[in-house]
Amino acid sequence: MKSTRRWTMAAIALATGAGFAGEPLAQTKIDFFFPVPVEGKLAREMTRLVRVYNDSQKEVEVTAVYTGGYDDTKLKAQAAAKAGKPPAVVLMSANFNVDLKLSGDIMSLEPFLKAGGATREKFLGDFWPALHANATVDGELYGVPFHNSTPLLYYNVDHFKQAGLDPARPPQTWAELADAAKKLTKRDGDKIERYGFQMPGGYDYLGWLMSALSMSNGGRYFNQDFGGEVYYDSPSMLGAVRFVDDLIHKHKVMPPGVVEAGGVSTAFFAGNASMVLLSTGSLSFIRENMKAPYNVGFVPRNVRNAVPIGGASLVMFKGQSEASQQAGWKFITWLSSTETLGGWSRFTGYFAPRRSSYDTAEMKEFIARNPDAKVALDQLPFAQPWFSTYQTVAVRKALEDEVQAVMNGKKKPDAAVKDAQKKADELLRPFNDQTSLKLP
Amino acid sequence: MTMASLQHADPAAGAPTRGATVRPAFVRRGWWLPYALLAPSIVFLVLFTYLPIVRVAVDALREVPHAGGPSRFVGLANFSAVLGDPAFIKAATNNLIYAVGTVVPTILLALLFALAVRRSNAFTAVLRVVLFFPSLVPLVAAASLFFFIFLPHLGLLDHYLRMVGLRGPNWLGDSDVALWSIMGITVWKNAGYYMLFYIAGLQNVPRDTIEAAMIDGANGLQRLWYVLLPALAPTTAFVVVIALVNVLTSVDHVVVLTRGGPTNATNLVLYYIFQEAHENFNYGKAAAATLMSVAVLLAISLGSVRAMERGGRGVA
Amino acid sequence: MWRDRGLAPMLLATLVAAVAFVWAAPFVWTVVAAFRPDGAGSVGMASLVPDLNPTLSNFRNALDSGSFGLYYFNTALVVSGVLAVQCVTISLAGYAFARLTFPGRDVLFYAFLLQLMLVPPALIVPNLRTIVDLGLYDSLAGAMAPYFASAFGTFLMRQTFLAIPRDFEEAASMDGAPWWAIVWYVLLPMARPGLVAFAIVSVTAHWNEFLWPLMVINDPSNHTLTIGLAAFTRGAEGGKEWGVLAAGTLLVVAPLALAFVAFQRRFVDSFVFSGIKG
Repeated sequence: MKSTRRWTMAAIALATGAGFAGEPLAQTKIDFFFPVPVEGKLAREMTRLVRVYNDSQKEVEVTAVYTGGYDDTKLKAQAAAKAGKPPAVVLMSANFNVDLKLSGDIMSLEPFLKAGGATREKFLGDFWPALHANATVDGELYGVPFHNSTPLLYYNVDHFKQAGLDPARPPQTWAELADAAKKLTKRDGDKIERYGFQMPGGYDYLGWLMSALSMSNGGRYFNQDFGGEVYYDSPSMLGAVRFVDDLIHKHKVMPPGVVEAGGVSTAFFAGNASMVLLSTGSLSFIRENMKAPYNVGFVPRNVRNAVPIGGASLVMFKGQSEASQQAGWKFITWLSSTETLGGWSRFTGYFAPRRSSYDTAEMKEFIARNPDAKVALDQLPFAQPWFSTYQTVAVRKALEDEVQAVMNGKKKPDAAVKDAQKKADELLRPFNDQTSLKLP
Repeated sequence: MTMASLQHADPAAGAPTRGATVRPAFVRRGWWLPYALLAPSIVFLVLFTYLPIVRVAVDALREVPHAGGPSRFVGLANFSAVLGDPAFIKAATNNLIYAVGTVVPTILLALLFALAVRRSNAFTAVLRVVLFFPSLVPLVAAASLFFFIFLPHLGLLDHYLRMVGLRGPNWLGDSDVALWSIMGITVWKNAGYYMLFYIAGLQNVPRDTIEAAMIDGANGLQRLWYVLLPALAPTTAFVVVIALVNVLTSVDHVVVLTRGGPTNATNLVLYYIFQEAHENFNYGKAAAATLMSVAVLLAISLGSVRAMERGGRGVA
Repeated sequence: MWRDRGLAPMLLATLVAAVAFVWAAPFVWTVVAAFRPDGAGSVGMASLVPDLNPTLSNFRNALDSGSFGLYYFNTALVVSGVLAVQCVTISLAGYAFARLTFPGRDVLFYAFLLQLMLVPPALIVPNLRTIVDLGLYDSLAGAMAPYFASAFGTFLMRQTFLAIPRDFEEAASMDGAPWWAIVWYVLLPMARPGLVAFAIVSVTAHWNEFLWPLMVINDPSNHTLTIGLAAFTRGAEGGKEWGVLAAGTLLVVAPLALAFVAFQRRFVDSFVFSGIKG
């Protein structure tokens, strides 16, 4: 079992459920923290998966610890680490990796690759290219992608028919989106009975969607290779913010103010919103709960098709014993195997980060049965890395606060992107002082 | 202020001089007895209150740069950084509005409820349960329910407003309205709880006075007000302290509903501290803001205890 | 009109009934929604009128996402453990502050009150360190320990003891009873309403606590109710299943609500006699 290709062997052996017949090692117990991003039943499925793993071998016993939402999970893992009880493996929102590396919480996974005789390029080779940037920090592997998503346009087929739109052809461009939204919006005098378009405006989601809009407007949003730069005060972002402003205040096809994601999905189910921008991670949830026929399409483009990645990756915390580290990596290897990722993807609606997952028979059959999942998959080649910088949350909030002000009619887009950039630059300055501006 | 004067504050404590003249034998039992009685509490207070405060105070004077570099002593720099942060000023202003805007209506409603249900019968039994129920719901769950209640168009509130021909604003998403919606949740959640204290407090007011005043109509109400206010002063002071501490130390609803948005419209000091410590890796700033909020709370509480003492004397 | 006999009480009753309706609406909706099909979103979902074809599927989904039997048990254990220790600490401390004079009493009393002012998020890391040092990490005892001392409870018991006339103790001490016998046989029985009043506050608070148990506990067999409930309340990617959320909320609240309905009169009376009037 001590072969150089141990990790691949282990993955194959465990994924197929074959037990380990190695030398009698003492069993290593490790904790695995995981959040539930969409629905409660995911927690039960994850617990089941871990039980399958525990039963499949005798060396590692994993305790699956449900730790609330993404933010709760990060808080708990960091607090536990500070108190001297770092969890071995955590399923962490993928854009926290830069910050968690800076704070010295998570460890580089390079030594495991080396010990297994693999290179980073080879290891990541099977993962979708857009995922590589969020998996690595400063050229080293820190996270193994586990489940991922992109934004997706969901629309109500009945509404499309009523408005004389072709339900087989979703809007491809911003112009078509605005046009369709106008036709779909139902008015009763001044009052609006149904909005043609809605998108979540709460923190976190809004930053993600603004990066989708600025990217499909030709922009980059942030420097993918370096955590000290964002491009808020840029024509591509300005255009995106103006577009949102127009949808609300000029075309009046989107409700003013902020509506959280839960409100947007509820409005879509209830037929109060005809088109919504939501995560592909909500696919299963929408499939189960949407009573009216719906369809999905790419996020419309102005300059090019582009969407940011979202989702979570498996990270390991520093401060473990050698045995727990090895056990943690073994578990990660199993959890990120082609089969496990594929099964989790079918259960949740997230897409599987490994391309090989889509070569399996179950997956082919699943995609054939769920055309909406096919669209989400087809959009993947256009995916870009997820926004991740020094102080990711604060820097993102700098933009979100300003866009929310625009959505509430308190600010004009031009001033908003300028102020967002100023605030972000201020936040990023200490990092740049330590990196890009630290000269010999 | 002395403890003796605090004892006077309680009208039910009996004649204040009495304890001084005839003391139970065990009071002379040994100097160590009071400390022994306090010891179990003090052990846990040291572990989980004083030790953390010391740790927070140490953190407040240091900076651990997230961008890299050694952690260092920075004196009061974290305090000035907090006070110079527009987000903190916004949160503090919001908190002031939030505190006054929730504590005053909550207390008035609690008093109103208490007057209505102070006597036990089948009708008041139902009312008591209904009014007290919100206190039993976890704030996290209450917030999730209110997420629905405040949903634009589809929510409980808009659904019924539409029936009477009204159209609600974007309750949680309009930056001019959101803080007031959040305040509504707090009032709903706490009024029934403080009602219990007022039901207790009303025992200080002769029942006849209340009945007579009520039967007497408007003048009676006026008279009631003047009888009630001083009689309930100790209760009010007590409830004000509890209510203030409560509104300044719980933000689960903000976390669930708005995360301080839109554009910081519902950000409160406690959530600001939470963000600085757990999202932005600014432990020093978070610690400084914590110490300041503890200082403010302590000042308010001491002020209220004093007021309680004065109010108590007014009745006794 | 104003001078009519009995109008003011009627006015008050009407007003309170109206307010009570508003107060009850979220609860009524929760009950109705918990039994309503299509819980994720539909046009009539805000209606307070129950549906004709109620469903139990929301409860089934809620129960499916965790081991609720275990959660009830653990929560009950935490709540009663905290309360049991608190009753001892606050009775002793409350008695000391109410009846004994000693150097440093005022300072100590305010030092106790300081506990009320500390905001929880600031305490997570320091308290977790202490819990680890005590060897209580990942145990229910770790979830309880920070609450064993209670400033609020001490304050409440002090007020309760102050409200009890001293004659009883004096009589007992004349008979030569030792201090602990007086506390145990004379004072505590009379202070029981105070303890009951405190129990409501303590039980409600710890029954509903989320963040601290989440931080301390790893082992799923130690999870409490609110952590189970979080599976419905903490979803990040936009899913809100209102029906399941309502059912889950009812599952969490039900034991407390039933207890309050059953004992509300005794609870309220306890408040009346506890001395917390000020």
